[in-house]
Amino acid sequence: MQEKMMGFMCKKCGKVMYPKHERCLGCKNTEFDEVSLGDECHLITFTKLYALPRGIEMSPLTLGIVEFNNKVRAMGQIMADDPEPGMDLHPVWAKLRTIDEKEVYGFKFDSIV
Amino acid sequence: MMRDVAIIGCGITKFGHLDGKDLMDILVEASLNAIDDAGASEFDFDSVYVGNMLAGELSHQTAIASALVDRINLIPASAERIENGPASGGSAVKNGFFAVASGASDLVLVAGGEKMTGVNTGTISDLMATLNHPTAEYVHGATMPAMAALFTRLYMERYSLTERHLAMVAVKNHANGLKNPCAQLHKLCTVEDALSSAMVSDPLRLYYCCPISDGAAAVVLCPAKKAKEFTPKPVKILGFGHATDTHAFQEREDPIVLKSVKIAAQQAFKMANIKPEDIDVAELHDAFEILEIAESEDIGFFKKGEGQLAVEKGVTAIDGELPINPSGGLKARGHPVGATGVAQIVELVLQLRGEAGERQVRDAQRALACNFGGFGNNTLVHILERGN
Ligand SMILES: [Zn+2]
Repeated sequence: MQEKMMGFMCKKCGKVMYPKHERCLGCKNTEFDEVSLGDECHLITFTKLYALPRGIEMSPLTLGIVEFNNKVRAMGQIMADDPEPGMDLHPVWAKLRTIDEKEVYGFKFDSIV
Repeated sequence: MMRDVAIIGCGITKFGHLDGKDLMDILVEASLNAIDDAGASEFDFDSVYVGNMLAGELSHQTAIASALVDRINLIPASAERIENGPASGGSAVKNGFFAVASGASDLVLVAGGEKMTGVNTGTISDLMATLNHPTAEYVHGATMPAMAALFTRLYMERYSLTERHLAMVAVKNHANGLKNPCAQLHKLCTVEDALSSAMVSDPLRLYYCCPISDGAAAVVLCPAKKAKEFTPKPVKILGFGHATDTHAFQEREDPIVLKSVKIAAQQAFKMANIKPEDIDVAELHDAFEILEIAESEDIGFFKKGEGQLAVEKGVTAIDGELPINPSGGLKARGHPVGATGVAQIVELVLQLRGEAGERQVRDAQRALACNFGGFGNNTLVHILERGN
């Protein structure tokens, strides 16, 4: 279980990236600090996927891309019932799917109550 | 100093469900057609490049380039398989171009093929999805239609693009495919058919996505100076471009700008020393109909956010100012992934030679192909010219 969704801040130029790269996308530096992406983000696009991938229980599967306050974006499953671009969400640690009978956990995004 | 390169022969199989033929059978068929078309049956080839993505996974066969030179006796030509996702075919063409341009090879066969039917659709969908970022995309359930759907909604939020435009691209490509004997889908569709087809990944319906296909295509290359020894109608490769972008789609500075397409096109235009307005016909990678529109903008044919207006006005129809996907595109010709980049070149060669039959574009002199790998993170562009 992870408490916070983490990004990677370049020690040289300060750019925050998600997912991880071994060299900074801004300056090619190779050292990073792990930083929290924060608890608040908003939805910028989404889809309801009817042709379900294997090992996914949610039907249809709502997938979306969120943007955090520091402009870093992430893709993930959206738990909110009626997703709308612009809506506020927050990351929640949960089971994502099973792959080869193994349960995989990660962050999903739910509406802020 | 690079040598000019010409395409002197091309061959293609029927695309679709090729029951009773395996991957090697269709690669052999397309290759022999191309060699025959080039009049090169009696000549020794120097190198062979085979674009393919999933032979190991779907056909339980590896090192397929070695198998191909054996089947059609091109021994002892050098041979290798090129895997670059859905851009494998374009990458194979690029490698063939380099082999001739560099002076290393005088006669080259480039083939591309994929056998995808007869396998569970869920398996195909999962294998294709593995080209997405493993931890940032795939694990969350991102399949290719889902990626295209996320991209489409961003487009719709920003520009005046509507679902109707996606339907119009499908209608055009179905109409073109009906005139292409090799195409997988041979039926007209109406805007209403498309708008009422099953929802795959909201807002994408079935008709805005390409089918699953078998098929192979091949071309023969030689130095432009020697082309006339083989054919009265050689086609020159004027330029190419090849560029990449971040693996994860959401990480791009502006996710609806296809930077790899933009850069690859700029490189190709620079090398060919021509501009987008000099192109008479194009084959674009419409694995999803939104991509035909987005690529047509990022290549520089239309302003960003206005590609759908060209579709509305019929500019991209066979009899329009800039016909796009006269072959039917991936939508109607089909998308056997490793074959697609080569099949685009085959179509353009036929167009430039004036041999495209019912779907012939009027007086085509220069043509462009865009083969799009990953979800926009690895793109090849080739520019061809009718040789005289
Ligand atoms: Zn940096």
